Amino acid sequence: MYPRVRDQHIAVFGESGSGKTVLVSSFYGAAQESSFLKESLFNVVADDIGLGNRLQKNYVGMRDRAIPPKTTRFSATPYSFSVKMKNGDNEAAQKRPFDVLRLVWHDYPGEWFEEDPGSAEEAARRVDTFRSLMRSDVAILLVDGQKLLDNAGGEERYLKSLLWNVRNGLLRLKDDVLADGEPLVEFPRIWIMALSKADLLPDMDVFKFRDLIIEMTNEDIAQLHEVLKGFVITPNALSVGEDFMLLSSAKFVPGKIEVTERLGVDLILPVAAMLPLERRVQWSERMEIPRKVLEHLADGAETLAAALIAGQARRLDKLLVKLPRVGPLIGKGGIPALIAAAKLAEGQLKQINAEALAKRDFLAATLTQFRLDLDQGERDDLIIRSRR
Amino acid sequence: MKVIWATRGRTWGFRFLLDGDCSDPLRAYERAFSSVEDEPRLRVRVGAQVALRFPDPLDRRDAAGRVIPHDFVLLEPLADEEPLADKINSVDDGLQKVWPLVSDVFARIWDLPRPPDAATIRTAIQRNIGQPPRTTGT
Repeated sequence: MYPRVRDQHIAVFGESGSGKTVLVSSFYGAAQESSFLKESLFNVVADDIGLGNRLQKNYVGMRDRAIPPKTTRFSATPYSFSVKMKNGDNEAAQKRPFDVLRLVWHDYPGEWFEEDPGSAEEAARRVDTFRSLMRSDVAILLVDGQKLLDNAGGEERYLKSLLWNVRNGLLRLKDDVLADGEPLVEFPRIWIMALSKADLLPDMDVFKFRDLIIEMTNEDIAQLHEVLKGFVITPNALSVGEDFMLLSSAKFVPGKIEVTERLGVDLILPVAAMLPLERRVQWSERMEIPRKVLEHLADGAETLAAALIAGQARRLDKLLVKLPRVGPLIGKGGIPALIAAAKLAEGQLKQINAEALAKRDFLAATLTQFRLDLDQGERDDLIIRSRR
Repeated sequence: MKVIWATRGRTWGFRFLLDGDCSDPLRAYERAFSSVEDEPRLRVRVGAQVALRFPDPLDRRDAAGRVIPHDFVLLEPLADEEPLADKINSVDDGLQKVWPLVSDVFARIWDLPRPPDAATIRTAIQRNIGQPPRTTGT
């Protein structure tokens, strides 16, 4: 039987040199370390062996020779990773709603947002890439920690220029991305502001980062929000500058790149898998969302939710009773599993996680762990999730 | 001189500063570099052409602190001369015979805030090596 696959797409936006390629190399390379392979409930496998080897080479080059990856030039690469559960209990494996969570991560030359391409072929590639990027589930916008340091005392100038470039780049590409002029249903509706190279700013936790962004770029974020609204159907279902995270792919010191000293990289998979699901429930509580939009709002959310609370069907009513009032979603025939999966409290998640582990249902264990990881990330001041 | 030269500046990103008279230099560039590893210094012959890459000889860096690489594809000879590709048998040959053709121009443009256009670069280099500038449309 073919494996059943759930796709989650992530778009990482950032200027040239902001750390996009280092981040994807660190994400993949760390998952190939023997400690991860032994301890994790899942394997991260590159669907294209050649591309996987390229990322692994980047990672090993950083780890063993302190050589950063070469600059991405002239072409974008969609890296497709399959998160494959290890063999657990056969019965649980047969019952699970999917076998593989696929993460598609688009990497592209940073200058494509800021400059006109140098050739017709490059221009065509840029349009294709941004069409793909704009169908992702989550977008992460990198704020370069090195540039914050370089502009110490004048951070506002850099931050405004970054957001202006993104806004302007989106406007320039709008006609190409909306090929028939129609706004998109499938679109990254969560735009996370992420501090990259966070190791360079050890005193900045995610709250300080959020405050810096809001204090200096509130109007610019509002303008970016307006531009993004022009791309989508149901523009109220859009979180821009409401979620924040810290990212550090490695610690760069002279002559050495400490790839084990990462920050936030381990939250990428939980963010990609769980944040759209949580947000879909939050939005459904406070606004009417057309059915066709709802289905694409967090593509595959029901399937993920079903997997997360696998084996809990009999307890679902009990779980829901314990939850706070859940708004119009239930009234509209909302999906109890989805609500439960999005709103389970930490204690309940831990219980389901422990039971799934005991039953060797590694998919349910992994997904509950993703939600627990996000909670822990908040306690560690690494991520702030929107509560709106 | 049929040479493709791709590089970047401190703030402006990768682009073709010489297109080797190709309508689509990207395809020729990728053909030449597709079979080579991502090494910072290389010289590889691909058919009649040579792919040549070296880090900036003056260690100039982009805004992120990465040493700027220079990528060349040597396509065909200078007029009445032995093919340039045949003279470049190592990276050091490239540094001695190819880099001097473009080094002055790069010194003037690498730190500009915006990327220069390819026609301006081509004209400057042709003047630099004593060739009359190519007229538009040829």
